[in-house]
Amino acid sequence: MKSRNIISSLFWLAIGAGVSYGGYDLELGTLHDPGSGFMFFWVGIIIIGLSSSILIRALWLKGDAMKLRLLWSEIRWKKTISVLAALFLYAYAFLPLGFILCTIPLLIFLFKAVEPQRWSWAILGAILSTLTAYGVFQLWLGSQLPRGLLGLG
Amino acid sequence: MDLLDYLGIGFSVALQPANLFYCFAGVFIGTLVGVLPGIGPVGAMSLLLPTTFKATPEAAIIMLAGIYYGAMYGGSTTSILVNIPGEAASVVTCLDGYQMARQGRAGPALGMAAFGSFLAGTLSIVGLMILAPPLSKFAIQFGPPEYFTLMVLGLTILIYLAHGSMPKALIMAAFGIVLGLIGLDSINARPRFTFERMELIDGVGLVPLVMGLFGVSEVLLNIEQVIRRDIFETKIKGLLPTARDWLDSKGALARGSLLGFFLGILPGGGAVISSFISYAIEKRVSRHPERFGKGAIEGVAGPEAANNAATGGAFIPLMTLGIPPNVVMAMLLGAFMIHGVTPGPLMMKQNPGLFWGVIVSMYIGNIMLLILNLPLIGMWVQVLKVPYKILFPLILLFCLIGVYSVSNAVFDIYIMILFGIVGYLMKKFEYEGAPLVLAFVLGPLMENNLRKSLIMSQGDFSIFITRPLAAVSLILAIFLLISPLVPWLGKKRREIPKEEVLKR
Repeated sequence: MKSRNIISSLFWLAIGAGVSYGGYDLELGTLHDPGSGFMFFWVGIIIIGLSSSILIRALWLKGDAMKLRLLWSEIRWKKTISVLAALFLYAYAFLPLGFILCTIPLLIFLFKAVEPQRWSWAILGAILSTLTAYGVFQLWLGSQLPRGLLGLG
Repeated sequence: MDLLDYLGIGFSVALQPANLFYCFAGVFIGTLVGVLPGIGPVGAMSLLLPTTFKATPEAAIIMLAGIYYGAMYGGSTTSILVNIPGEAASVVTCLDGYQMARQGRAGPALGMAAFGSFLAGTLSIVGLMILAPPLSKFAIQFGPPEYFTLMVLGLTILIYLAHGSMPKALIMAAFGIVLGLIGLDSINARPRFTFERMELIDGVGLVPLVMGLFGVSEVLLNIEQVIRRDIFETKIKGLLPTARDWLDSKGALARGSLLGFFLGILPGGGAVISSFISYAIEKRVSRHPERFGKGAIEGVAGPEAANNAATGGAFIPLMTLGIPPNVVMAMLLGAFMIHGVTPGPLMMKQNPGLFWGVIVSMYIGNIMLLILNLPLIGMWVQVLKVPYKILFPLILLFCLIGVYSVSNAVFDIYIMILFGIVGYLMKKFEYEGAPLVLAFVLGPLMENNLRKSLIMSQGDFSIFITRPLAAVSLILAIFLLISPLVPWLGKKRREIPKEEVLKR
């Protein structure tokens, strides 16, 4: 708990400082006519105050019942990171490749990534899910999904 | 025009075939979402928001509202049959509902949950109909100081009722305000915190933010550990509760309905809190409190009535003041805005069809839910058996398409993934998402009303204490904020509401 609070409060301290500085930079205005940065500045100050209180409390506490590493133990890291990487890659390739060419590989990967399933199931599931989503969103609801290389859209 | 005329308008809107279809779709999807752990009404509403773009505002809001109250119905099914609450508001239903199922009384438990939900849902709509018109008339007199302080109070209550540390909830709210203010200044059109990115000129989108915080982060948390779902194999027979069950539950249903409705009006997750408090009250007033936790039907009836009644109550501040009392309503406010409607005191006059159409659709939706829930329980049990390894890729796919469909911008997909990571870390470090989202929606309104108030008073902050309603709201907010520093009040806050229920 202690380490968690120290790390998170330091993070929010930095965010608060950044927001306050940004607000100050934007112009505070006057009380008669508050400027664009007025709210940012004061909300930033509030974040600084609150995160400092968490930090001081955490430093004051004795012991560390909940070690930080316990928070991350028994986690299937590779799965989480690979899913995130796949999502970023999908976003990157979405426009150039188009919806269908991007979505089928993503779904095959996701179906196989966490609890591996048979290839046939993963491929069939991915194709069916993609085509259903395409039918619902593009053809029925008129969303403008990217055409990409296939020119479908 | 009197109430009957307005109801006539409401029925003429709600009974249109397209609106009936959207109402059915809403309650069906809501029940599904309630049944499936891992995706809540907020995530589902943001996922399905793009599907309403082609619909009229009436149809869109009818469907999204249906998801909300439908989820409350569906949540009880998993609580009773699997001991896993589909929704936070159904957590307490596990305590006695699951025990009833183990004793071979799953049918009456499910039946009482459905009937109780129906009765309470209907009563809360009546309450909404009665309270909303006078409140709307009263709210027309509100000026910027009243709105600003009411929003501060709303946010403070939500923070006060947050589960964990209050400073952490306050940080989340402050961060939500900052995120909500990104984009052009509404008064002088100056770009703020846009980092010279054109995509941020209109600010951070509500949909990518919510989908990231509630959709992607939930998936990331679920896939990092092996999930096992053991469904208690039981034959569900005799869904109709017995006369004895009704007799035992009648007080719980009435108390749960009233409590849920009034707590629903207050900001701060009314459905969840009211279900916990209802359970605590039922246990306290019971002549046999020792039965609670061992299959007491009042322990199912009260909380289920309370969480459904709270959904009706929650519409009051949104539709009469334009102030969302919880995250789901914040999402609904976003949907109103996207469809070009501003909820508030003037909505009843300017959009009577929408206002009364949504209310009447909730009557119809409640009847649909009753019909949907009782005969289809077998189907919902089958849905529960869909393994998460199949479910999560589909949730992610819907998130991706949903976000892209709103703005046609890949940038929003990146924003969603980013907030997915932020939401994941928030849960790891025990920060709550609800205050962030509510503050995100309220932030621009708060800033606008604060600046207008200061311009009105020529920089004099006393405007917030010389106007009675503003002063009362502000005093209450300050009281709630400093209460954790007062030892006995801080203790009271920690006791609300789960500990009250769970110390058995």
